Amino acid sequence: MSSLYERIGGQPAVDAAVEIFYRKVLSDDRINGFFGGVDMEQQINKQKGFLTMVFGGPNEYTGKDMREGHKHLVANGLNDSHVDAVIENLGNTLQELGVAAEDIQEVADIANSVRDDILNR
Amino acid sequence: MTHIIYKDTRIEIKEGQTVLSALLENSYDIPNSCRAGVCQSCLMQATDGEVPVVAQDGLKDTLKSQGYFLACSCKPETPLHIVDSKNNQQQYSARVLEHEFINDYVLRLRLKIEQPYYYHAGQFINLWMDKKISRSYSLASVDKLDDFLELHIRRIPNGVVSNWLCDEISIGDTIQIQAATGDCFYTPGSSKQKLLLAGTGTGLAPLIGIARDALAQGHKGEIHLIHGARFADDLYMHQTLLKMAEKYNQFHYHTNVLQSENLLSIEHQSIDQQLLDVAGSDLAESKFYLCGDADIVNKLKTKMFLAGASMKNIYSDPFIIAADGVNT
Repeated sequence: MSSLYERIGGQPAVDAAVEIFYRKVLSDDRINGFFGGVDMEQQINKQKGFLTMVFGGPNEYTGKDMREGHKHLVANGLNDSHVDAVIENLGNTLQELGVAAEDIQEVADIANSVRDDILNR
Repeated sequence: MTHIIYKDTRIEIKEGQTVLSALLENSYDIPNSCRAGVCQSCLMQATDGEVPVVAQDGLKDTLKSQGYFLACSCKPETPLHIVDSKNNQQQYSARVLEHEFINDYVLRLRLKIEQPYYYHAGQFINLWMDKKISRSYSLASVDKLDDFLELHIRRIPNGVVSNWLCDEISIGDTIQIQAATGDCFYTPGSSKQKLLLAGTGTGLAPLIGIARDALAQGHKGEIHLIHGARFADDLYMHQTLLKMAEKYNQFHYHTNVLQSENLLSIEHQSIDQQLLDVAGSDLAESKFYLCGDADIVNKLKTKMFLAGASMKNIYSDPFIIAADGVNT
């Protein structure tokens, strides 16, 4: 049986999804405040790493990276509602790209599995 | 089995081994993160040898053409000479050929370098006033067309380097500069693509270079250049650009003047809206070059991206004013 990453389409799918996803995030007033003043190209590369991970692809992200990377955002009020919004945007992106509902759920589950690391608790 | 040369040292690469893993094995501290060809932390540059195509996956065309690659996904089959991605420190002596004010505060400086010097129009150089102080300026000239390097220097109030260049330097003087760098330049490829160039102030310098370079390389698609300025007098290459637009059917010159003398009669259109209008329905496939004031460049970048432009097609050069008030 093929892996989630293979079913979604591997790296080409990450490339296709990343800009759509990032546009949604930047247009979402619930969360775009956290992205003010960041280098957009660097951010897209980071998002690619994130998408690769939640698509179940090869990655070396660790809980520690997740904690370190979001520490300053948690200090600025990042909470569950923002993580929910990101996962919602992620789901909408995948839906647009024609990914099956079960696979989208699996992606959301992986994203949820790092929620505590992201929120540093 | 092959090898790489890094910092004058020969390092063996085992069958199927990546450059990153070989360097780390040899105790070189190379920045890296995902090790999956995604995050681009391990970006390096090959100065000689053949880079495997897969090692350049996801990089911008302008980086690919300069031999940049990702160490974590690079399994070379033949020897490679590699350097860290920002390792071009060599200095060159440049003689001042021309020193002329285009308007009240923009100086056109033309420099001649006797040594071989290679650059892409639109890249920038670091120019040294002395051993400690340097500033970055964009190149307005085109390597294959011009026998000199051209810089447009805006005089910044209290700017150490710009005032030095404007007042102390004259024809015949020698200035130290570094190799050209930056990824804001034209690459041939899809020659029918629309090119959209927008800049403010002396952000025009790299844009003129990019436009002339694209035309010289046989670009077939439309090229639009928007020069944003506070006052009409700031359109410091107006006549040249009008002539260029007359000469080349595909080249279009637009202006965006913030404060017209006829304030009441003209509804001002923002430069981002003007750029969106010019892009029209081709926006998603067009290439963007955005140069000048950092706030405006970053705003344009975001707007174009949100409107559907791909980040891979957006090249930008935001000008940062140095902390002591000097143009960079």
